[in-house]
Amino acid sequence: MSYFEQCLTSGGLLFQEERRALYSYLLEINRDFYANQAQLLLETGMAIRIIANGEATYILKDGKVSYSARKLNSDDVQSEIREIKLTRVKPLNIKRLRKFFAQCDVDVITNYPLLGPIPSEESGYGINTYPYYTLAYYANGKNYLKGLFVKIKTSDKEILTKLRTL
Amino acid sequence: MPLTIPKSILLTPKVPSLLVVGLLAAQFLIFQVADSPEPNCTLNIERPHYSTSLNEDQNIDAIKLNITSMCNVPQKYTELTADIQKIQNNREISAYSFENKRKNSTIKTPNVVTFKDLFAPCKKGSSTSYRGIAQGYVYLESGKKVTVKGDSGKYVATGCLIGAQ
Repeated sequence: MSYFEQCLTSGGLLFQEERRALYSYLLEINRDFYANQAQLLLETGMAIRIIANGEATYILKDGKVSYSARKLNSDDVQSEIREIKLTRVKPLNIKRLRKFFAQCDVDVITNYPLLGPIPSEESGYGINTYPYYTLAYYANGKNYLKGLFVKIKTSDKEILTKLRTL
Repeated sequence: MPLTIPKSILLTPKVPSLLVVGLLAAQFLIFQVADSPEPNCTLNIERPHYSTSLNEDQNIDAIKLNITSMCNVPQKYTELTADIQKIQNNREISAYSFENKRKNSTIKTPNVVTFKDLFAPCKKGSSTSYRGIAQGYVYLESGKKVTVKGDSGKYVATGCLIGAQ
């Protein structure tokens, strides 16, 4: 089993450093896939993505994209978990949506991991409040200048290498 | 001679019926508000401990921090920042800061949100004393926002050092 496959089964047991590295890794390997998904969403107003043991539904409405999620074969839908505002510039929207999709994939993986040897504990849907692609994440929603410094100092290279190679 | 019965004064409404309905509705609403409890939420922060389950299942060394936010009314979600503190050179310092987390309540337990995915990587060996602290907000179903804050109490020694990888 590769380290990435392990991440898909570990879910909520991942360290926050691993989740952040997983975001970067997903962004990297799904570059074209996310661009196509963004294109589809912008054209049809809806896109569905299945990852690990969950399903995310993206809806475009009033210039905003939001996503809802549910565990596969379950009716318990977590609605409008995150949202992102779009601009009038299409290439910029695609770039933004790529990051949004990678963040949402991490959310779904950590909440609905693949069935593994360790049963996941039943609890509510949890997310990192501020998305990885914002300075607010590094500043915990407070001082963005401090967030910039923290971002520069933060390095997940070791875990990223592990994801790419193992 | 035909008998005429005088129309009783009591049968003629003095107060318009619409006003009566309105007053009854107002009374009902006042009692409803008085009956609903004042929202109260508390944060229960357990002492940070070495996660034996993570070690046994995945061979990973980590300190775990369990937090529960409980309200007397249904909540939508709890949002909080948590920290594990340690004593170093007789000073209280942050050993590990968790990212700001948001967790929804469930249908089964609408008043309670449990955070059980707060792990800090550590290295087994030297004994270090830790305690957990957290603060944030509970967003209630009613739309109100309640501030919550707490800590796990006394520092407790654990045989695993955070930040020594």
